[in-house]
Amino acid sequence: MSDKKHKLPYLIFSKKYFKENIIKILLLISAVTCIIIIFSILFFLVKEAYPLPTDIWSFLSGDKWRPTSANPQFGILSLIAGTLLVTLGAIIFAVPLSIGSAIFISEIASPRIRGFIKPIIELLAGIPSVVYGFFGLIILVDWIYKGFGVPTGETWLAGSIILGIMAIPTITSVAEDAINAVPRHYKEGSLAMGATKWQTIRKVVLPSALSGITAAIILGIGRAVGETMAVLMICGNSPIIPDPVWNVFSPIRTLTSNLGIEIGEVPFGSGHYHALFGVAVVLLIITLVINISAVYILGKIKEKQMALGKKKKKNYISAETTYKIKKYIKHALIGFLLIFVYLVTGLLFTGIIVLAAIVLSYVFKKLPEKKIQTISFSIITISIIIVLCILAILLGYIIVNGIDAMSWEFLTTPHSSLGRQGGIVTALMGTLYLALGAIAIALPIGVGAAIYLVEYTREGKITKTIRSAADLLNGTPSIVFGLFGFAFLVLFLGWGKVLIAGQITLAFMIIPTILRTSEEALKSVPQSIREGSLAVGATRWQTIRRVVLPPATPGIITGAILGIGRAAGETAPIMFIAVTFSAIEPSSLWAPVNALSYHIFVLATEISGQEAKIAAGGSALVLLLLVIGFYIIALLIRNYYSKKMKW
Amino acid sequence: MSKKEYIIQTKDLNLWYGENHALMDINLNMRPNKVTALIGPSGCGKSTLIRCFNRMNDVIPDCKVKGHVYFNDEDIYGHGIDAVEIRKKIGMVFQKPNPFPKSIFENIAYGPRVQGMNNKKKLDEIVEKSLKDAALWDEVKDRLNDSAMGLSGGQQQRLCIARSLAIKPEIILMDEPCSSLDPIATAKIEDLIGELKKNYTVIIVTHNMQQAARVSDYTAYMYLGKMIEYGDTTQIFENPKEELTEKYITGRFG
Repeated sequence: MSDKKHKLPYLIFSKKYFKENIIKILLLISAVTCIIIIFSILFFLVKEAYPLPTDIWSFLSGDKWRPTSANPQFGILSLIAGTLLVTLGAIIFAVPLSIGSAIFISEIASPRIRGFIKPIIELLAGIPSVVYGFFGLIILVDWIYKGFGVPTGETWLAGSIILGIMAIPTITSVAEDAINAVPRHYKEGSLAMGATKWQTIRKVVLPSALSGITAAIILGIGRAVGETMAVLMICGNSPIIPDPVWNVFSPIRTLTSNLGIEIGEVPFGSGHYHALFGVAVVLLIITLVINISAVYILGKIKEKQMALGKKKKKNYISAETTYKIKKYIKHALIGFLLIFVYLVTGLLFTGIIVLAAIVLSYVFKKLPEKKIQTISFSIITISIIIVLCILAILLGYIIVNGIDAMSWEFLTTPHSSLGRQGGIVTALMGTLYLALGAIAIALPIGVGAAIYLVEYTREGKITKTIRSAADLLNGTPSIVFGLFGFAFLVLFLGWGKVLIAGQITLAFMIIPTILRTSEEALKSVPQSIREGSLAVGATRWQTIRRVVLPPATPGIITGAILGIGRAAGETAPIMFIAVTFSAIEPSSLWAPVNALSYHIFVLATEISGQEAKIAAGGSALVLLLLVIGFYIIALLIRNYYSKKMKW
Repeated sequence: MSKKEYIIQTKDLNLWYGENHALMDINLNMRPNKVTALIGPSGCGKSTLIRCFNRMNDVIPDCKVKGHVYFNDEDIYGHGIDAVEIRKKIGMVFQKPNPFPKSIFENIAYGPRVQGMNNKKKLDEIVEKSLKDAALWDEVKDRLNDSAMGLSGGQQQRLCIARSLAIKPEIILMDEPCSSLDPIATAKIEDLIGELKKNYTVIIVTHNMQQAARVSDYTAYMYLGKMIEYGDTTQIFENPKEELTEKYITGRFG
C-alpha cells in the first residue's frame, strides 16, 4: 500500500499514521494467532500420540482394543471399521433423501414453499448432537429393539439412521447450491428443444451439478465421521467388528466415541493415553482427506464459474476413455450396492429389488415423458415429505416430552438428587457462560484475521494457506478440539477442568466459522466502494471502518450468532475439560461448570429412573429452544439485510 | 497558487500488471483549468493512465510503476510521498457510480469528515456548495437524509462528482463517467464538465469520441499502452498527424 515503500521502523513510529499502523499490527496479530492455533492443534495431537504403545502396523491392523486389561492390546481396526460402517449406513440413508430434497427445493418448489422449507432444513443442522442422541436413545433404539426383536436396540443401524438424519441438511444445502449454480441458459436451451422439465433436470441440470453434488456427499460423510455424542449414546460402544460384517444389529464403537468414552479416565502419560491420541490423529487424517477432497472439488467448480482456469490442461486421457471409466464406475457402484443389500437382507429381497428395477426400467421406457415426469416428481416430493416428517417427529417428541418437565421451578432451581429432582439453572447458566466466553475470545480474533486477509493482504500463498487451514479446521471433528484442550490446557498448562479451558476450546472450534463468514461479508462489499473512499483521501483504516465494516456488519453478526449457537450445543469437546455434573455455580473462570448439553448426556445415559428421563427431556427442550433461537435470529438478520442490500 | 504552465506532467511512465506491460514511456503535459480527454480503443491503457495520477493503481495487486508523474512539479511516486495526501488534492469519479450505502448528506460529508472536519455548520455549507456545483442540489435538497442508493444512475454519478468536489481538489479525474448512463444524464454531466473547468482541471477518459470532441480542450490518443498523439482537440479531430489516430477518429478501426 501507500506505506509499503517505507521501512518498518518508519512505519511504526511515523506519528501521522501511528493509529493506522497500530491497528494494522493488531489485525496482523489476530491473523497470526489463527495460524498458530491451527498448527498447535496439529502439533499437540501428534506430539501426544508419541510414543505409541505398539508399532504403527499392529495399531492400525489389530482388531482387539483392550487398553486396560492386564495384557493390554491396542488395535484400532474395529474402531475404524465401526466408523466406516456407521458412516456408510448413514450415507445410504441420507443421500437419496437429501438429493431429492435439493432437487425439490431448487427446481420444483414454488418460491413460497422454498422460502418455507429451506430454513427448516437449515434448522435441522442447528439441533445439537446430544439432542439427536437423546432422541435416538429413547425412541429409535426402542423401535429397533421391539421392531426387529433384537437383544438390544443400541446398534449400528440406530447410529446410521441418526447420523443420516444429521447429514441430511449438510448434503441438501451444498447440493442445492450446486444445482442453483447451473446457469439458467442451460435449462432454457433444453426446454426450448421441447424437453420436459424432468428431462431437463436429469439430462442437463444434474450432470452439470454433478461435481457439486459429489462434494455435498463428501461433506456429509465428513459430518458423519466426525460426530461423537449421538453415536456414543446409541451405538452400544462395543469395540468389535460386526460378525458377520454386514450385521446391522451389532453394536459398534467408532473412533470418536472411543475418545469420548475413554479420554476422561485415562492415566496421563500411559500407553493408553498415547494410544488415544493416536486414535485422534487417525481420525484427523480421515477427516482431513475427506475435507480436502471436498474443498478441492468445490474450488474447481468456483474456478470454472469465474472462468479463472488459466490454460486448459492437456488431456492425457481421451474423452472416450473418461466416458468409459465413468460408465464402469457407475456399474461398479450399482453392483456394490446390490452386494451390500444382498448381504444385509438376503437373496429373496435382493431378487425382488433387481426384478422390480428391471420391470420399472422397462415400463419407464414405454411410458410417455409426461407420465415419467409425474412419477419422478412424486418420488422427489415423497423424499422431501419424509425429511419433513422426520423433523416433525423429532421436534414433536422433544417438545411433547419436554413440556412434561417444564415449570418455573425447573428453569430457576439447581438440580438435586442426581438430577432427578429440581431444575437446570446451573446447567443453563453454565452453557451461557461457555458460549458467551467462547464468542468473546473468538470474535476479535476471527474478525480481525478476516479483515487482515481481505483488506491488507494480496491474494497469494499466505492467504490461501490460512484460508484452507480454516476450511480444514472447520471440518475437524469437535472431539479433536476437546483432545487438544485436554492435552494443552488441562494437562500441559495444568489448569484442570475449568470454565476458561472450555471457553478457549470452544473459541478455537468456532474461529474458522467466524473467520470465513466475516471474510465473505467483507468480500461482498464491492471494491468500487473502497476506491470511492480512497479517492477522496481516506486512509485504509478510515475506509474499512466507515464504508466497508458498516455494510459487512450484518454478515459478521450472523456468523457470530451461528458460532454462539454451535458453542452452546456442543458436548464432546468440553466433556473432559470444563464440565462436571454439579449443581453449584462456578465461582470464577477457574472453576468447573455444568452445561445443558452435558446435563442431558448424563441424565440420559448414567442416571437411572423415569424422573431422570423426564428431566433430560426438559433440558433437551430448553437447549433446543436456546440453540434454535440463535439460529432463527441469525436467519432473520441475514434475510432482512440480503433484501435491503443491493449493490 | 502560482501560474504554472502544467499541472500534471508524466515522464517516461511505465506500468506493469504482473507480466503485462500496460503503459510504455508515457510523456504527457497537461494544462490547468482545461479539460483533457484520453481516448483510444478498449484495453489501450487510458484508464490505467488516469489511475496513475492519484495512485489508485496502488490498490491493484502486483502492479509495478516506473518513471515519474509530477503534480505541480512534485513527483507523486517519489520517496516518502503519501498517496492519501495526493488523493486529497486529486479527486476521482469512476466508471460506474459508486455511492456509499449511506445518506446523500453523509456521502458528500464523507471526504471532509475523514480529513477531520466535524463542524456541523461547515459541513452543511460544503454539502450544499458541492451539490450545487454538481448541479444536483435542486433535485435532492429536500431529501438529504435519504439513502443515496435510491437515486437514479445519473443522479448517483453527479453525487459522486459532488463527493469529489467536497474535498476541494485541484484536479478531477473522470474514468468514463458516462458509460453507464442514458443520453439525458450524459448531457447533464457534459454540461457540468464545462462548468467545472472554471475552477478545476478535468482529465476524462472516454470511449465516446463525440464526447471527447464536445467537452475537451486537449485530447490524447492512446493505443496498446503507447501515447500515439496528444494535442489540441480541434487539431486531433480535424487534422491528426498520425495515421493511427486518423484511422481511429474516422472509425476505420478500434
